[in-house]
Amino acid sequence: MAINLTRRNFLKTASIAAAGIPLSKVVAKAGTGIAKAPLIPPGSFKHTKTVTGGICEMCFWRCQLVGKVRGDRLVKLEGNPKSIDNGQNLCARGNAGIKLVYDPDRLKYPMKNIGKRGAPKWQKISWDEALNICADKLQTTIDKYGPKGIAVWYHGASTHYPNAYFDYLGVPNKYEPAFYQCRGQTAMAMMQTLGFVPNEDVDMPNSKAMLLVGCHIGENIHLSHVKNFLKGLENGSKAVVVDPRFSAAAAKAHIWVKIKPGMDTAFLLGLMNYMFDKGIYNKSFAKKYCLGLNRLKKHVAEWTVEKTASECDIPAAQIVEVAELLAKNAPNVSIHPGRHAAWYGNDFQRVRANACLTAILGAMDCPGGIVRIKRMSSGHVHWPEVEHKEDPEEMALAELEEKFPFRPPGTPPELMRDTMISGKPYPIKSLIVWGTNSIKTMPRQERTEKALANMDFILVTDVTPTDITMWADILLPEASYLERYDHIEKGTQWNQGDTPQQFLSARMPLIDPMFERKDPVWMINELARRMGHEKDIPVKNQEEFVNHLLKETGLTIAKLRKLDGIYIQPGESPYLKKGEEPKFDTDSGKIELYSEAMEDEDFPALPTYTKTAEPPKGFARMIYGRSPVHTFNRTANNAWLVREIPENPLWINDESAQKMGLKDGDRVFLENQDGKKSVSSTVVKTTPGIRKDCVFIAHGFGTFNPAMTVGYHKGIDDNELNTIINREGETGISGMRINFVRVVKDGKVIDIPA
Amino acid sequence: MKPDTDFNRETSSPSVSTTLADIFAFLALLMRYPEKSFFDDEFLDTLENLLDKLDLEPLRQKISVWRSSVDDQLLDAQVEYTRLFINAAPHLIAPPYGSVYLESERSLQGKSTETTRDFYRRYGFDVVNKAEPADHITLELEFLSCLYRQEEITAAETFVRTLFLPWFEQFYQQLMPELRHPLYEVSIQLISYFVQEDQ
Repeated sequence: MAINLTRRNFLKTASIAAAGIPLSKVVAKAGTGIAKAPLIPPGSFKHTKTVTGGICEMCFWRCQLVGKVRGDRLVKLEGNPKSIDNGQNLCARGNAGIKLVYDPDRLKYPMKNIGKRGAPKWQKISWDEALNICADKLQTTIDKYGPKGIAVWYHGASTHYPNAYFDYLGVPNKYEPAFYQCRGQTAMAMMQTLGFVPNEDVDMPNSKAMLLVGCHIGENIHLSHVKNFLKGLENGSKAVVVDPRFSAAAAKAHIWVKIKPGMDTAFLLGLMNYMFDKGIYNKSFAKKYCLGLNRLKKHVAEWTVEKTASECDIPAAQIVEVAELLAKNAPNVSIHPGRHAAWYGNDFQRVRANACLTAILGAMDCPGGIVRIKRMSSGHVHWPEVEHKEDPEEMALAELEEKFPFRPPGTPPELMRDTMISGKPYPIKSLIVWGTNSIKTMPRQERTEKALANMDFILVTDVTPTDITMWADILLPEASYLERYDHIEKGTQWNQGDTPQQFLSARMPLIDPMFERKDPVWMINELARRMGHEKDIPVKNQEEFVNHLLKETGLTIAKLRKLDGIYIQPGESPYLKKGEEPKFDTDSGKIELYSEAMEDEDFPALPTYTKTAEPPKGFARMIYGRSPVHTFNRTANNAWLVREIPENPLWINDESAQKMGLKDGDRVFLENQDGKKSVSSTVVKTTPGIRKDCVFIAHGFGTFNPAMTVGYHKGIDDNELNTIINREGETGISGMRINFVRVVKDGKVIDIPA
Repeated sequence: MKPDTDFNRETSSPSVSTTLADIFAFLALLMRYPEKSFFDDEFLDTLENLLDKLDLEPLRQKISVWRSSVDDQLLDAQVEYTRLFINAAPHLIAPPYGSVYLESERSLQGKSTETTRDFYRRYGFDVVNKAEPADHITLELEFLSCLYRQEEITAAETFVRTLFLPWFEQFYQQLMPELRHPLYEVSIQLISYFVQEDQ
């Protein structure tokens, strides 16, 4: 016999054939996944093509990129050579986007939880069934409780369109961690003081000195931002880094201020007092453009160099040195506004102090200062305005309870969570979670779990499984940032000192989504159809959505594609021209060192330091930050990135460690002041580069969800140990550096010496 | 078409390769997400019948016991399939894609996926749904079925030896400790039965 049948031996096969088992009949019912195709000789699809129009979302900096695609397969990501922002560079995370796209753990199909929340059993279901369930459950909530019965937790560029729909539905309570666990105070306090939000638009390359308070550029890698910092150093700018830890930025600094954690506001007030005292602030600017200069002078007078030095536990000479350095180089100094600000629960005031220091140095709208970068603008997509029985703005919890008047957009998460648990002042019974892992973002996880348990319905949409996906009733798989259209990125050349240019890019897919992953426009339109809102759907699909956003620019997806993904035009310098007056969009039209609006709401009208609780005996304050190759928990399952940095070593002072009998590489757990012990462990890193009163770990590790097979239980989750909540009255944002820990090794609790 | 083998001429039954084509198509179905369209009594009867003819009585019994003890067999199979092969808590047991096992880091759409699809195309086949990686176990088994149907026996042998077995064995090992469900325990053993070399 010519056929070399081995174990699939012909006798067995023959007996089957003879037995007349209706295999072919059974098989015919199912259709086939493989079909005849034109014969293609090997090698003919080996050519790699470059696909443009990508915009990274491994973090939120949105670098422009291109993909090398072979056949259907994305094989490499690179910076878009046309980019005037990140250029051809991508960071480690940007490169590792490929591992996200092709992560076998990723969500692939819509799923229904037929087990319990938190301990799910999944059934793969069709989109039709999934969306029918979502429409039915959300409508039931609306019928019973009104749209206020629905809450939304969201994050990321993909939520633009879904949010517009939730607004149309009249959902009053939405929460985004980008504001409430990150930069909410930075934005709101700057707005309140200066009348604009500088974000991180700080002209570091053209500065003569830079002040970074708790800002560790280089550990948080945002490409053009890091380039700005490094260019500043290269150009001879003197960097001052204020941090309890010898961070990557501190390692590049001319002056490292090893400040006691929680004392940053006092430090800023002390600097201002010294400058006032010596008369070395920018008098002409402050007099002309600031409101409340004299009141501020009086207010900070108590912060003498000696008192500041003693409170901050730093040398008095260092305060003088920093103040002199900044004053001498004003206005060309970069007082960095920072980004993540939710530290101690008194952070609005710290950012106000930062803004005031910037103001009295006149360090804005000029080389080296914070600058108002002039970008192109693009549009929004709105659903039609509809009348709701209850005004969603009035029904928002913070509004109803007249709390947190200086809060960023949305509802403070703990306020929402309290309501989800108590049902007061009204029941919230359905939750939509879109692209955020709120188990990791909100302090006091057991409260979050309690709130989740209380829901009638939970819909979660994400790209990968995360901790919160385990709580979904319906789980929908979203196309990743490399597989969909959405975000419009607008910016300028990265160095403001260079010839002004503006760019605009729209995110375009580099590859088609695999499995049954869908883009958010499709998902929302299909949901809206099922909820009876078909006639109000504003755009048919994601391409139309992006073209709508581009409308006012005269650009389209097709035009951008011809331009290799990026449109560039001449720009405008952000520096004031000679004789041009700065404008401030505050109530008074001036920089409000003294804020009447704050006084009206019974908050300090001048930036004020409030004491932060000290660690109990045997404990050290737990501080956290970023890991340069990770974006919080988002990259916790990325094989390449986890291989580079698999866990978050515990930084502990070397002398303390010696007393505790700890050495580098020891495995330890942490236990907080309330006896909460970390679920997973990490390794010890002993270093003189951290104070004795604190320990440090990078955030985003210690994943709980075993579905994230790469990142599961690697390192310690800092948020798990956040059991103290300290919501500040201005914004409703809780500090997250107000918890204290000690070490557990081999089951033995070890106190941390003071 | 190649001529029938001598063996086939001696019998009035369908050719060996046609039977193998049917068998592999059936094996492919066993590894497909169970849907109402095909996953019915007739399908399970056929499975039992096949096991019976192969003298794999202990396996047949497992299926039979499972069928009599579970009311909604479709839902039961769907949930287990999802747990083993799609997304699951506590975690996905064994993604059924070749590249996850063949590449240095577990990943979809690896170089080996490209090689696999290349192989399909060289024999005039391609995947219908481009959203699925070409090296899903179901697609590979279907492709083998297509090769047998075209009497490309040598190609099928080569495919099994060079692209299927190298990962199937690791896949099987990874699944083994979790193979509690009779349907999938039997399905995997049956596939193994038809692809493993004689000892």
